[in-house]
Amino acid sequence: MITIENLTKYYGSNRAVNHISFTINDNEILGFLGPNGAGKSTTMNMIAGYLPMSDGKVTINGADVTKEPLKAKRNLGYLPEIPPVYPDMKVHEYLSFCAGLKKVPVGKRKSEIDRVMGLLKIKDVKGKLIRNLSKGYKQRVGFAQALLGDPKFLILDEPTVGLDPNQVAEVRELIKSLKKDHSVIFSSHILSEVSAVCDRVVIINKGDIRAIDTIENLEKSFTVSLVLHIKIKGSKGKAASIIEMTKGVREITAVDDEGDGVYSFTVQLEGDSDSVRDSVMAECLKNGISIIEIYTDRPNLESVFIELINRPAKKDGLRELLDEMPDESGDSDETEDEDETEEKEDE
Amino acid sequence: MFPIYKKELQSFFYTPFAYAMAMLFMLLFSLSFSTGIAKLDNSHTWAFSFTEMFYSVILYFIFLLPILTMRTFADERKNGTEVLLMTSPVSTGRIVIAKFLANITVYLFMLAGTVIFPIITAIKGEVVMSQLICAYIGIFFWGAMYIALGMLISAFTENSIIAAIIGEVVMFALLFVDDFANTPFISQYPAIKKFLYAFAAQPRFSYFSEGFIRLSDLTFFLSAIIVLLIWTYIVIEKRRWNRG
Repeated sequence: MITIENLTKYYGSNRAVNHISFTINDNEILGFLGPNGAGKSTTMNMIAGYLPMSDGKVTINGADVTKEPLKAKRNLGYLPEIPPVYPDMKVHEYLSFCAGLKKVPVGKRKSEIDRVMGLLKIKDVKGKLIRNLSKGYKQRVGFAQALLGDPKFLILDEPTVGLDPNQVAEVRELIKSLKKDHSVIFSSHILSEVSAVCDRVVIINKGDIRAIDTIENLEKSFTVSLVLHIKIKGSKGKAASIIEMTKGVREITAVDDEGDGVYSFTVQLEGDSDSVRDSVMAECLKNGISIIEIYTDRPNLESVFIELINRPAKKDGLRELLDEMPDESGDSDETEDEDETEEKEDE
Repeated sequence: MFPIYKKELQSFFYTPFAYAMAMLFMLLFSLSFSTGIAKLDNSHTWAFSFTEMFYSVILYFIFLLPILTMRTFADERKNGTEVLLMTSPVSTGRIVIAKFLANITVYLFMLAGTVIFPIITAIKGEVVMSQLICAYIGIFFWGAMYIALGMLISAFTENSIIAAIIGEVVMFALLFVDDFANTPFISQYPAIKKFLYAFAAQPRFSYFSEGFIRLSDLTFFLSAIIVLLIWTYIVIEKRRWNRG
């Protein structure tokens, strides 16, 4: 198990990672998801013991990375963002060097190197100079290095970057198969990749954790309610108040001016009943607002991700996020709505 | 530690690098050697001094040793392989020592090539062995100190060419620090003169070349090597902390 507590990194006065905590359980694949520059690589470098942390603690199998680095690193395989390969070495020379570095017993080295070359399908280039390899092969040689010595924990920083679609699928399968006797933490900015491979995801942006959960739970909690898209022609203010006062509407999340008096509204609904759409339509028509387009849809994982990422950074990002999840937040939302209606009635 | 040492040696010996360095070194040495022989005609004693040759050889060090050490850490950083070393179960201290030993090995290989000149001389004449051995010991330590210095400079930068150029400048300055200290201007201030003299390797080497092995000289070179290696270690660790 890897435990990360309160991990923080400052570059000068610039905070790259902000008090993040999570754990990686045994035989688990943890996805580390976030846009570029979110702090993913910094965090992984700190877990692997390359970058010292400004604050916080990382323990790998009970060994503190800063206090007992050699013990902690013995259980660790790390593929950094840029594969750490020597351009002037041949593939098998490089792997044999890495095996020595990772203290693989001399007698086992040859079979171990054969094993990882087989896993990554790089046997055909083993006599080539690394400088002459394509980016995808370099990436796989770097990955093979991380697997040498069969470390219990693997940290993979964007392992599929630079691979062609075929190889991406192969590497994903490989990562899945590693789950049997390893714990894997792997980062990506590609959502589909993470959802295809990982048991749990940590979503991070600007150094803050935005969510830690299984993909299913994230999807479920954000997709229970429908989103109504409505395009009208007429008074914007009037339409807005009609929509807001309709029963079953939670809030208007966006309004776009499309020109010529046409406005499109994005409306968050409560629950997942289509009947709200009909009542909104009926109310609008009754008040002389013409409807150009109206439909409902369900937010997909992609939009959940985008919403989580773009959510303004909060002090207690995680806690507030959990508070907002439906089973706990349903009641408070209703009261808010009631307040709003009351206010409107007062006006 | 051994795998790093082995890898460094491979990078020197599996490429023409070590051989080119040794060849160049021998070529330069042979220039001094042939000058020494040419002078024989004018001398009445029919003798020439290897130790005098070593003095000019030290000047060549300034150009050769930074080329040897420039890549030591700069290239690791440029290739992104520093991460690999730092996240392996090997401590930074051992990485520094392994790389130092590898550089020393190449240096010994370079020195070994020059043994041919005393051998040729011994076949046709006589060589004062005690003096020659002492001179070799002296030059070995001097070179080892310069290698530690070059490694330190390599740890400061990501660009190996810059490491080589800075190395040449610093080594050049250190080579002539005693001459500088002896200038009339500096001689006015005994304190400064004494301070500068503390860094001078040449007066210490002259004892070796005369056939003396003094403990104080050995201590000078050894402590310089240790201080420079520890400094290298600190620079590498510090860069990790300041990265970004």
